[in-house]
Amino acid sequence: MPEPYDHLDTLRQTLRAWLAANAPADWRETCTSHDGFLALQRKWFTTLIEGGWAIPHWPAQGPHGAWPGGGRGLAEQKVIYEELARADTPRLILTFVSTYHAACTLFEWATPEQQAKYLPGILAGEIWCQGFSEPGAGSDLASLRTRAELRGDHYVVNGQKLWSTMGQFADKCLLLVRTSSEGAKQAGLTYLLLDMKAKGVTARPIHQIHGDEEFAELFLDDVHVPVADRLGAEGQGWAVAQSTLSSERGLTLLELSARMRGSLWRLVELVGGDEPGVLRDLGRLATRIDAAQALADQFLAKRIAGEEAVGDASLVKLMYARTLREFTSMGLRLGGIGQQYHEPIVFGGGMETGNWMADFMNSYAWTIAGGSDEVQRNIIAERMLEMPREPKSWVGA
Amino acid sequence: MSEIRTELADAARKALSHGQAGDGLARDEAAALPGEMGWLMAHVPEDRGGLGLGHEGLAAIAKELGRALVPGPVVAQVGVIAALSHADAFDGRDALLEAAMGGEVMTTSLAVAPTGAMVTCVPDADRASHVLVLRPDRVALVARDAPGVTVIERPTWDRTRRLFDVVVPHDAPAKVLAEGTAAQALDATARSTMLFALAADALGGAEAALAMTVDYLKTRRQFDRPLAMFQALKHRVADLQCAIAAADALLWQRAGDADATLLAMGALKAHACGVYRMVTEEMIQLHGGIGLTAEYACHLFLKRALLNAALLGDGDHWDQLSGRALLEGTRA
Ligand SMILES: Cc1cc2nc3c(=O)[nH]c(=O)nc-3n(C[C@H](O)[C@H](O)[C@H](O)COP(=O)(O)OP(=O)(O)OC[C@H]3O[C@@H](n4cnc5c(N)ncnc54)[C@H](O)[C@@H]3O)c2cc1C
Repeated sequence: MPEPYDHLDTLRQTLRAWLAANAPADWRETCTSHDGFLALQRKWFTTLIEGGWAIPHWPAQGPHGAWPGGGRGLAEQKVIYEELARADTPRLILTFVSTYHAACTLFEWATPEQQAKYLPGILAGEIWCQGFSEPGAGSDLASLRTRAELRGDHYVVNGQKLWSTMGQFADKCLLLVRTSSEGAKQAGLTYLLLDMKAKGVTARPIHQIHGDEEFAELFLDDVHVPVADRLGAEGQGWAVAQSTLSSERGLTLLELSARMRGSLWRLVELVGGDEPGVLRDLGRLATRIDAAQALADQFLAKRIAGEEAVGDASLVKLMYARTLREFTSMGLRLGGIGQQYHEPIVFGGGMETGNWMADFMNSYAWTIAGGSDEVQRNIIAERMLEMPREPKSWVGA
Repeated sequence: MSEIRTELADAARKALSHGQAGDGLARDEAAALPGEMGWLMAHVPEDRGGLGLGHEGLAAIAKELGRALVPGPVVAQVGVIAALSHADAFDGRDALLEAAMGGEVMTTSLAVAPTGAMVTCVPDADRASHVLVLRPDRVALVARDAPGVTVIERPTWDRTRRLFDVVVPHDAPAKVLAEGTAAQALDATARSTMLFALAADALGGAEAALAMTVDYLKTRRQFDRPLAMFQALKHRVADLQCAIAAADALLWQRAGDADATLLAMGALKAHACGVYRMVTEEMIQLHGGIGLTAEYACHLFLKRALLNAALLGDGDHWDQLSGRALLEGTRA
């Protein structure tokens, strides 16, 4: 049930007042180093937890009492995201995987003991990362090869993970491993909760093209993981992983489209004259952003009503990703040669910081991660429009 | 509201299902339907004798008309109806409004801006009882048979529409609906409504064009498989689907936004028509040679898309205004 309007309006006003008193002001200046970034992200997360705004998507009640600020309906969450974006607060990047991917997967699959063990840590600011992708398993995730062998009460894990966002700072990891090579490749997967401080875990930050080190490569060398830290049954990893993958959909893109729209002034600032061609492209882009936002909005409304259809999420993601690319390209174009002089990035500054070369390169995060544009197009064509799939197997030369 | 929207759309689709694309005769019959079925009163407030379904109701219907390529002056007619229902009361207004809602053709210009004594881009002027002359300082209704009023047909590539130039002498007798600032507001109301209806027509058409294309790709076989199996084609189709979905979301959002400005509706129309054009352009390419034949409906969609794009200000026009409004900080 959508909340009544006046209730949402009160929520909006309350949060707006809270943000006026609590939103960090100078974070773009302090986040020019990793230390500054980490300090700010931790502090902002704690402040939001205390204010009751960090985990609106959690259930109201945990095993040992109420979660602070949990149990919000989707319409309420939407208001919260809109206001956080409007106040230009930093996105919670460091704890994003913890509060979304990890928490949502735990809610769905963890035993009461596992929930009691892990959820309080997340509230206290523990950082999680996601160890799914591998050098040989990207879009074709189910082909992953990191092995876990059962030995008594623990698994012994060997392999390599790639692109683990925030992996170098993480305390815990959502780890997808292979426990069997029999049958369908999805059927041999198992889901483990890995302690990043365990013996044999090495995280090496990956230097990205725009100067950030947002993700890491994980090397797993005879790492012991207790059987008690397995989510779901052995061989059920693929199903558990689907919870993780769907946890961030919808709301994130609502927030991000709201932020993109709110950042249009950064482009406007760069327009010098009155050139009709520039005005037209700017105007066209602005309407396109409105459309992307309307689509994300509609998606959420459908979810609230329980009417989400196959492929809807792919449409939202593809539209957002392509629009972000256009947005950042426009910044590059208007910024001209000025944007070719190197400017260090603001860590955790979001998708549109006004450092247009960096923003442009960073926009690939959305066209590649979380299922690339091409993978989304496959889903739209094959699952939504029911166009026939290509023949499954290929015998290469 | 969304239930009423679905019901209206279903009813319209059912009534129009005999006028499937390409079937010229049936489509001419379909042109009489909007008046007969009461669709022209959907967006009119109840205290003016309408159904009070607002822009949502209008969109539901206009999308179906676009989907079935229904001929006729509906876009202009809803503009006239909007002007009549929003004008201050004048002698004979209610009778005129009732007649227009019932299907008596009253038309107006779909040109971007008024030009001298010649009113251009006027749908179905030859069979209209009245022509609404929209100017920012004066909105007036002129009887089609008033002395000196002449209509000149301007055959268009889009054969689902008929456009005319109309000469309206300055001294032609007219019922003045509004003057001065009131005229500016009324002009904006009528234009907003027509821009919105064009956007809905475009998206109904785009959905139909894409559905036909996907069906065709599933049926047509080359290289021992359906064309729909080729990923190069799947991805183009997926991009079109994505563009339509986003434009449609924007349409419904603006439909529900009572504060949407003329510029917001213009920008919506430009965006929706850009999508329609892109879809129909691809439609012909993905049909191959058959897409170039007159017996196949592809060309009807393409031509309607391109005419829609040009009416009431093209993409460049509205995008430039949007860009300027952004610069001046006046864009919502
Ligand atoms: C910013 C960022 C953050 C990430 N964070 C994480 C994380 O925290 N944890 C984690 O596990 N992973 C993470 N990833 C990894 C991400 O999930 C993969 O990069 C993604 O799934 C694509 O895999 P790949 O890079 O191996 O590309 P590949 O799969 O090798 O694809 C290369 C190209 O081929 C295309 N392609 C692939 N398959 C098809 C197909 N069937 N049809 C058509 N085209 C195809 C792709 O679209 C792409 O253009 C992250 C990636 C990025 C960029």
